[in-house]
Amino acid sequence: MWDWWRKNRPLVLGCVLLLTALLWYSVSLKRQDETSFFENLVLRATGPVQVGLNRLIGGAADIWDHYLYLVDTVDDNQLLLEENRRLNAELVRSDEVRLENQRLHLLLDFKETQEIATLPARVIAEDASSWFRTVTIDKGGEHGVTEGMPVVVAEGVVGRVVRSSPRFSRVLLVTDASSAVASLLQGNRARGVCRGQGELLVFDFVLRQEDVNVGDRVVTSGMGGVFPKGLVIGEVNTVDRQEFGLFQVVSVRSAVDFSHLEEVLVLLRGRQ
Amino acid sequence: MNRTLFYLVLAGVAVILQTLLLPLVMPGHYKPDLILILVVYLGLHEDPWRGGLLVYLMGCCFDGVAGTFPGLSGFFLLGLFLAVRGIVTRVNTESSPLLLLLVFAGTVLQVFLIAFALDFFSRTAGLWPQILRQLPLQLLLNILAAFVLLRLTVRLQRIFIPRRDLPGLRKLDSRYES
Repeated sequence: MWDWWRKNRPLVLGCVLLLTALLWYSVSLKRQDETSFFENLVLRATGPVQVGLNRLIGGAADIWDHYLYLVDTVDDNQLLLEENRRLNAELVRSDEVRLENQRLHLLLDFKETQEIATLPARVIAEDASSWFRTVTIDKGGEHGVTEGMPVVVAEGVVGRVVRSSPRFSRVLLVTDASSAVASLLQGNRARGVCRGQGELLVFDFVLRQEDVNVGDRVVTSGMGGVFPKGLVIGEVNTVDRQEFGLFQVVSVRSAVDFSHLEEVLVLLRGRQ
Repeated sequence: MNRTLFYLVLAGVAVILQTLLLPLVMPGHYKPDLILILVVYLGLHEDPWRGGLLVYLMGCCFDGVAGTFPGLSGFFLLGLFLAVRGIVTRVNTESSPLLLLLVFAGTVLQVFLIAFALDFFSRTAGLWPQILRQLPLQLLLNILAAFVLLRLTVRLQRIFIPRRDLPGLRKLDSRYES
């Protein structure tokens, strides 16, 4: 017995360690909708670093785009190119300001159409893993953001807040596999659930007899208790009406371009 | 203690790269998993207890910036670490291509452990198709990142600290391979 234990001790202890980790994960799932003390701590610790580095990287990218990239010039035209470079940088910077202005105007127009109080926030970081779709925003509990609040942009639904620390929050995007939004087709009011699939969404539980066409707009139904009714999710991308089965397979392309997500609005539900 | 701190700093740098810098240059949401590479490296060179606890701690911290399932990263990173520890006595750890092979196998194992943990324990459904679609590109990115890191680390060590050994680095140096 002792020999067996001595021989297999690493294997047994490894299994025990792994099972303990699995058990802890399983127990933690019950409190998945809340931000744990540990997660709060990590978010508090990484948030300021991410904000600082975000600005630093933005500044470095700005210098690279506007100055260094233009350094390769002919000597004879040095002065002329210097002037040209400076003007170019000014132009690009003012273009950037104009584009930001346009985006914020869109958000402002959208904000005015909302009955629910909204809070603008800036996206400061992406998910650290390729398997999940979350982003970190620079607003948290101190600004009234709590778990479960919907996050939108002028184009449509972005996701919902899943973790919140005093100054930062994490948002689960609608394209994440663990995201589900109660939805309906704007045209024929067919109901279903939009689930994330990475790049696209799948519109589940749409009955076979429902008339669904490519390009139909999908909006939130307001049934899930998270998102208010009528927010745009996206447009139908493909429809596969199989010969058998109760439901058809419908994929939806999100109205939001998640690769260029910079500013968002948090809908402060429960606050007018 | 110093080494543990060094690994934690490395993990912190990896998280910063993955959340801030790499999304700027990588298309879509794809990025190499630098934490996975670090865990494979730890599996090759650290003892099971200290390494295991360190990896679990790293995983729990990683959950604060990745995904929405507390404990998931801790579980799959620990599983990966123990799997590497399990085979470390049977392979030649002084071969640098082994790290690349283990990163390949580790990525596949990671996918399996994530899908298992999510399918069996949570309400998340339909993750398999997404993961399988992403897997080939993720494998490529992880191996490429491991290759670049391997070359870069050895070169930096030769330039800056030629007379000192970084933990386990000597074993990855091609000069010592037969």
